[in-house]
Amino acid sequence: MSEHDLTFDAMGSHVRLLIGEPTGGAPPAAEAAERGREFIAGFDRELSRFKPDSGLSRLNADERERVPASELLRRAVGAGLEAAERSGGLVDPTLVREIEATGYASSRAGMRGAPLAEALEQAPQRRPASPSPEARWRRISVDDQRGEVVRPPGVLFDTGGAGKGLAADMVAERLHGYGRFVVDCGGDIRIGGSAALVHPYEVYVEHPLTGERAFVLRLSRGGVATSGLNVRIWRDEDGRYAHHLLDPATGEPAWTGLVGATALGDTAVEAETLSKAALLSGPEGARETLAEQGGLIVHDSGRVEPIGPLARPPRIRLPKLEANGAAT
Amino acid sequence: MTEAPTRPQTGARRARRPGPAAVIWGSIALFAVLFALFTYQLSAPSQPRQHVLVRKVVKRRVVTTVVPTPGESTVTSGPAVSSTQSSAAATPVTTSAS
Repeated sequence: MSEHDLTFDAMGSHVRLLIGEPTGGAPPAAEAAERGREFIAGFDRELSRFKPDSGLSRLNADERERVPASELLRRAVGAGLEAAERSGGLVDPTLVREIEATGYASSRAGMRGAPLAEALEQAPQRRPASPSPEARWRRISVDDQRGEVVRPPGVLFDTGGAGKGLAADMVAERLHGYGRFVVDCGGDIRIGGSAALVHPYEVYVEHPLTGERAFVLRLSRGGVATSGLNVRIWRDEDGRYAHHLLDPATGEPAWTGLVGATALGDTAVEAETLSKAALLSGPEGARETLAEQGGLIVHDSGRVEPIGPLARPPRIRLPKLEANGAAT
Repeated sequence: MTEAPTRPQTGARRARRPGPAAVIWGSIALFAVLFALFTYQLSAPSQPRQHVLVRKVVKRRVVTTVVPTPGESTVTSGPAVSSTQSSAAATPVTTSAS
């Protein structure tokens, strides 16, 4: 069994496409990988906040209430709104001015993050983030019939909360004709293919403080995503440490007692939403957020805590034998 | 006054009761016919039955192992790198913040 492995940079991250052998007359895996790369490049062009001619930038600059938008942009807005709804407003796609005010107004791709351990020493008191009482995201809607995004002018949108997960899911939708595959958009991963049920992938979870392998997942389908403070972290103009995961209630970087959260989900968008919501919720809220689908959190101390299905040791289930001898 | 003569009843009009032998043989014949019909019905192929398919849906999710040993970052940077190799030789997939 062979797989085609393609890695490249896009969306300010490393992207990796790992595609197995074609089934049912699908084109060769190398061709599918190249198409996937082209799709992600187009995705980035349309949805980047840092490109002034992107569909997203044009939407944010438009002064009309109803703005014509491409199908891709409408889907991305829809995914962002779903993430906000699912997280009760914690994953808020409208914090554009706030994130720019912290110093994240241009891409940080390729920039080395500030030392997280030092940032933790200087960070304010830990507390869980809360949704913004204003909930601006509730005033955004998508009108697919008319091909428009509707929102009050001045309400800005950012796909950052669900963008890479959505890209992974959309590439995965194009890979049904392959035995098994991984679409990894900067750590937001989607896995699929019937052969993966027999030969699951091992996914390593990187520890945000040490860079070492903190956990190994064995996945045959679905999504997995990690949010952490270790990569996009910098000093602001006042010399304080800042990062890109904001508390919607204050518009300031959230210091919740967690430095990383990894979540499993049926899709990469779901996993990305849950991982961000978990990190923003702090340890107690994260346990609740990740209880159903499973995940793990990394405390400020570096302690790794598996949650939900990941916390339970593997079990072997024997069939129950009924009185009449029939196994169920 | 004269009386009208009474007409004698003819044998054809009088109801004749079957003899015991006829009743016995008739019963046996009827039983045999019904038995034959019943047997035929049982042996004939019946209508297709509706099958009830019981399916057990097992949702498999994860099997996990804590691995305390150090690992390495796996995603290479720079220009696109493309290769085809055996699955066993592929670099492991890593999830991390980005």
